[in-house]
Amino acid sequence: RSMAAASRDRRRRGRAPGAASAAAAVEDDGEEHHLNPFLSDAAPTSSRVQFRCVLSALLLRLICLLLLPVRLWIVQRVALHMLWSRNVASRARWVEEAGAAEVLDSKGKLWLTTGVTRGGKLYYNVEEIGFLAERGALIFLDDEGGTIGMEEIYGKIAGGKYGCSWDAFQAYKHLKLLGYIIGRYAVPWTMKNNPTCETTDSLERMPDTDQSFNRADGVHNGITKLLKEMHIDGLHPSFEVYLPNSKFRKSSPGAPCFLLSMLRDKPPSRDELETIESKCDGIPLKFCQVDNGRVSFLSFDKVRLPSLP
Amino acid sequence: QLMDKAGPRWKKGKDGKDFAALAAAHPMSSIVAELQSSLKGSKLVATLSNQGRDATLGVNLQQATLLNRAAFGRALDNAEAGKQWFQLGAEEVFYLYHGLKCISVSESKKLLSEGELWDHLCSASESFPEMYKAYSHLRSKNWVVRSGLQYGADFVAYRHHPALVHSEFAVVVVPEGVEFGGRCGRLKVWSDLLCALRASGSVAKTLLVLTVSSSICELSSPDCLEQLVVHERTITRWIAQQCREQRCEPSREEPNNEEQDHTRETVVFNYWGVILGFTVLSSLLVYKLRF
Repeated sequence: RSMAAASRDRRRRGRAPGAASAAAAVEDDGEEHHLNPFLSDAAPTSSRVQFRCVLSALLLRLICLLLLPVRLWIVQRVALHMLWSRNVASRARWVEEAGAAEVLDSKGKLWLTTGVTRGGKLYYNVEEIGFLAERGALIFLDDEGGTIGMEEIYGKIAGGKYGCSWDAFQAYKHLKLLGYIIGRYAVPWTMKNNPTCETTDSLERMPDTDQSFNRADGVHNGITKLLKEMHIDGLHPSFEVYLPNSKFRKSSPGAPCFLLSMLRDKPPSRDELETIESKCDGIPLKFCQVDNGRVSFLSFDKVRLPSLP
Repeated sequence: QLMDKAGPRWKKGKDGKDFAALAAAHPMSSIVAELQSSLKGSKLVATLSNQGRDATLGVNLQQATLLNRAAFGRALDNAEAGKQWFQLGAEEVFYLYHGLKCISVSESKKLLSEGELWDHLCSASESFPEMYKAYSHLRSKNWVVRSGLQYGADFVAYRHHPALVHSEFAVVVVPEGVEFGGRCGRLKVWSDLLCALRASGSVAKTLLVLTVSSSICELSSPDCLEQLVVHERTITRWIAQQCREQRCEPSREEPNNEEQDHTRETVVFNYWGVILGFTVLSSLLVYKLRF
């Protein structure tokens, strides 16, 4: 292809001087071929060298492309194997007032990166319950000790009363299966029990400081507060996401890698984007769009194109 | 967020070296300045087509080189000796006329005033005000701007001449505000936005959205251009799997578990063998081709 184009160029140049940029030789793939108006016509083409360079570059790219899926496959198999292990099923009991499940006994190491601690007790919220239950890693109980089935779990998620939506659950699941660590936006991973004790969590981002309630009565208030905010502008991030990290500690999680906001039935307007960005405190923001179960992530970053020389 | 992180993809010359140095030796601002003074001196008149948005301009050979280098218009193959003919698009005509103030424009043999030219271009295309604002916004920062229609965008933006560098951005212009009337603006539904994203990605360009907003009420004269504000945003797709791979440090592996280690080792051993063999063979092939 480069040889044909080069001979086409030579014919063009022979015809009229200065016609060097009649660059309209459009190739089949739609990529225009531009003649270079900065060079003289003197240099002859050495197309064989060009051809070899192009071919070897293409081959290198092909190798990299082929390697990546295989590595990904290996990593995902490992992650899934850990999650499907049958003898790490935990038990948790639903606590309606908290809108969460209190973990009665937990096995394995999932608890290091899942659930929040309040007053020394571990609680799973609805998306965590849904995720673990789907993987057979959770026995979910009601007050009487009876098992709560998948249908009711999905009902709790889709109902939207407990701070999660069906789309948000899809997003949570997608990232969790890839090994990311995900917490709800503005919900501390761990808190002390004493209601009079002021929060000392340096990563606290809620505007008011009387957040020092425990999970049982506090989370309900927390969810109500968030639900109220959602009614006002409906625009805030849903999750805080951390990169997979075996050294992750709830006591000092560090700053999230990015915040995730769920997208709705229409693309966000500029105003909506700026509203959500104002709540991010400089942490990168990504958006999640769920289309019939297909989860994709987008960034709508503000940029400033530089002035060029 | 300053847009220099990825860096421009310069094309390569026949000697195998990329054109970054050539571009640095010919900064776009000086090419445009030289073009401006040369055209001004010749008092040239572009001829606007009656119903359409295109104009033709006859220039001398030196001016032709400058137009080519600054990537304005398309040269028209022509047998006439000593003079070169160019075809200019609507935004290009208006930029040379209003932005650089170096040409005049006539239509049906009559010289047009600024207002007449603006009216003509706006009636030929409803979205001309926002398109031109976006065009001049990028050109004034010395980016090269060409039509992006073949890529499903409004413009494509290059850091320098398209022969020297691949374009980084597919630009979609979105008007914002009641002043722009009931226009069918782009990117208002997911199918359109994701279509634009896919189209730009398939040609290795980042989707750049320029939102043109207005604080005044009328677009009937080019004076409105000063009041229009351009907001720049990129829309990019993030692949969760790839990000995880690229930013991995050794400590990021899942919490170690005795039973999991054993399985992992077996799997890893089998497949790394295959991959290693493949890599070795391909590298030999590449080596043979290069030398």
